[in-house]
Amino acid sequence: MADGVEAREIVKTFGVGTEHEVTALNNVSLTIRSNEFFTLLGPSGCGKTTMLRLIAGFEMPTRGDILLFGEHMEDLPPNQRAVNTVFQHYALFPHMSVAENVAFGLRRLRKPKDETDRTVGHMLELVKLGDLAHRRPAQLSGGQQQRVALARALAPGPKVLLLDEPLSALDLKLRQAMRLELKQIQRETGITFIFVTHDQEEALSMSDRIAVMSNGEVQQVGTPHDIYEYPVNRFVAEFIGDANFIPATVAGFETDMLVCSTVAGRTLRVRGSGDHNTGDLVTLFLRPEKVLLHRQGETSSGRLAGEVVDVVYYGSETSYRIRLDDGTVILAEDRNMLDGSRRFAGGEQLFVEIGAETLRVLGQ
Amino acid sequence: MISLPRNSRTRTWLGLAPAWLVIGVFMLVPIALMAVISFLEANPYGGVHFNFSTDAYVQIAFEYDLEDNLVFNPIYINIILRSVGLSILATVVCLVIGFPVAYFITLQPPSKRNFYIYLITIPFWTNLLIRTFSWILILGRNGVIETPLLLTGVIDDSLNMMYTNGAITVGLAYSYLPLMILPIYASLERLDFRLVEAASDLYAHRLEIMTKVIIPLSMPGIVAGCMLVYIPSLGAFIAPDLLGGGKRLLLGSLVQFQFATARNWPFGAAIAMVLLAFVVVALMIYARSARKRALIEGDL
Ligand SMILES: Nc1ncnc2c1ncn2[C@@H]1O[C@H](COP(=O)(O)OP(=O)(O)O)[C@@H](O)[C@H]1O
Ligand SMILES: [Mg+2]
Repeated sequence: MADGVEAREIVKTFGVGTEHEVTALNNVSLTIRSNEFFTLLGPSGCGKTTMLRLIAGFEMPTRGDILLFGEHMEDLPPNQRAVNTVFQHYALFPHMSVAENVAFGLRRLRKPKDETDRTVGHMLELVKLGDLAHRRPAQLSGGQQQRVALARALAPGPKVLLLDEPLSALDLKLRQAMRLELKQIQRETGITFIFVTHDQEEALSMSDRIAVMSNGEVQQVGTPHDIYEYPVNRFVAEFIGDANFIPATVAGFETDMLVCSTVAGRTLRVRGSGDHNTGDLVTLFLRPEKVLLHRQGETSSGRLAGEVVDVVYYGSETSYRIRLDDGTVILAEDRNMLDGSRRFAGGEQLFVEIGAETLRVLGQ
Repeated sequence: MISLPRNSRTRTWLGLAPAWLVIGVFMLVPIALMAVISFLEANPYGGVHFNFSTDAYVQIAFEYDLEDNLVFNPIYINIILRSVGLSILATVVCLVIGFPVAYFITLQPPSKRNFYIYLITIPFWTNLLIRTFSWILILGRNGVIETPLLLTGVIDDSLNMMYTNGAITVGLAYSYLPLMILPIYASLERLDFRLVEAASDLYAHRLEIMTKVIIPLSMPGIVAGCMLVYIPSLGAFIAPDLLGGGKRLLLGSLVQFQFATARNWPFGAAIAMVLLAFVVVALMIYARSARKRALIEGDL
């Protein structure tokens, strides 16, 4: 089967030749498989919306090609692409009822009336709005409007659904509920979803694959697990959750281990050898929850002595800032278990354990 | 807003007092005077006799024949119908021209829009009489339209465009076109163009985007524009006099004639009351559409 959406070396520059020239996308290539829940993740202004608008046909690429199921989309206007959008601010038609909004696409496609009515009913059921069919958008809450926008975009049965930060205007509880629901709807309908967000938690929890973007470029594409555990660079590592970065030099090699010595003179072993030479400067990367905390220990066993500087309590877990005795400050995170034996207070002395499996060497 | 809840109603009314005073002095009192005059007897030398009489209204549809019997006289009814008809026609012409113009301006970059709006308001800086007079030069015998056609032999006799219903309609439409464009522009400018994108995303082509999204959403401006053209068209007398040659009397000219020339104040006032009735009907339609609109937007 042909890939769902393919973007080939897309460049999009706004205001070419003016003083306000902005390159929103710089040589972006993406392959999105059909039936995939694909997420574009990146900070505000990195070009996510622009990418969606190019796929929808609202903008034309300055250079490059977009293919939809193997077909070139060049110059095809939005109304001739089997793609629908859930807009960031919903863009519901204020002069139409909920049902009329949902029926809009089907009517433009000249579907028979009974089929339209059936689909609209089905869609409203899918988003749990059956009893609000005759309301106007202005009489709905934000969450309900969001569902109407979703139903309206799904009703014509697009091959690809584009969602531009659809949950960002909702409050936390609703947002979390909608994540599950969206994911479920995607699985039920089998439509390819391209979802845009700047919220890493949202991206990790919903996506089959994620493309992390910054400054109009794709930094990394991969499954949530890949992206979280094996970020290719510091930007990705930092954008997806908290991270410790430890500058070090490669000191030598052991069987499938890299021996690194930190700037502070500490020796750390990293699983995997990679493509490094003795003397190389590298950055070691470590997720805070992978740092193990102990009350007792001996430095000889690989445990490092340190002191708790800061404690931030999050309920299910606690985050610590720890100063090791060589002066390095690292972040650690620990789940709050029932007995509280592993809870530490500010100023307390402790030992941290950094396993060779948990450390990664980052590309710069 | 700081207001004491207990007497906030009174305060609101007091606050509005100046507005009521202005409306009262400049609108209600004159209309009431007109209404009173329309029920008095005419004084042939101008002014009125203070005797109650419905003659003025009877005169709209009937006249006395030689034996003093009331017989039906359609002349004024025809004037009323023609006025309403030509006003509606002028409104339609303004709408057909004004909507695309307003839409065009909306599509311009914001910096250019004000310039176009300025161009549209320029005609208001000159006297309507003079501007209407120029239409005689355009439409008239040996005018701007006829002369080249005559010279090139496309036509070999005058088109007789002057002093027709068509000429009056053109004059009316010309006079009030800006009043159509401005409210429609105001409406279109507020229109959320993301809705246009949404419609296009949902397979609407250009015409459907226009008829299903843009026109329905600019309805308040369209209705307001139609009111602003229709109402003054009904009472207009400059365009009908100059371009209709006074042969085709309209309501406005008739009222003006009754007060200024025929000196039949009650009859003039009665005609003015009829005029007012048509305006009130139009305003009621307007109010209904505004209410419906408020319902749609949910701000009840
Ligand atoms: N129509 C436009 N004209 C000029 N610049 C634009 C336009 N649309 C987007 N940009 C610029 O392109 C960049 C990417 O924008 P956008 O795709 O909206 O980012 P995101 O959705 O990731 O926040 C920004 O710098 C933005 O200012
Ligand atoms: Mg965006």
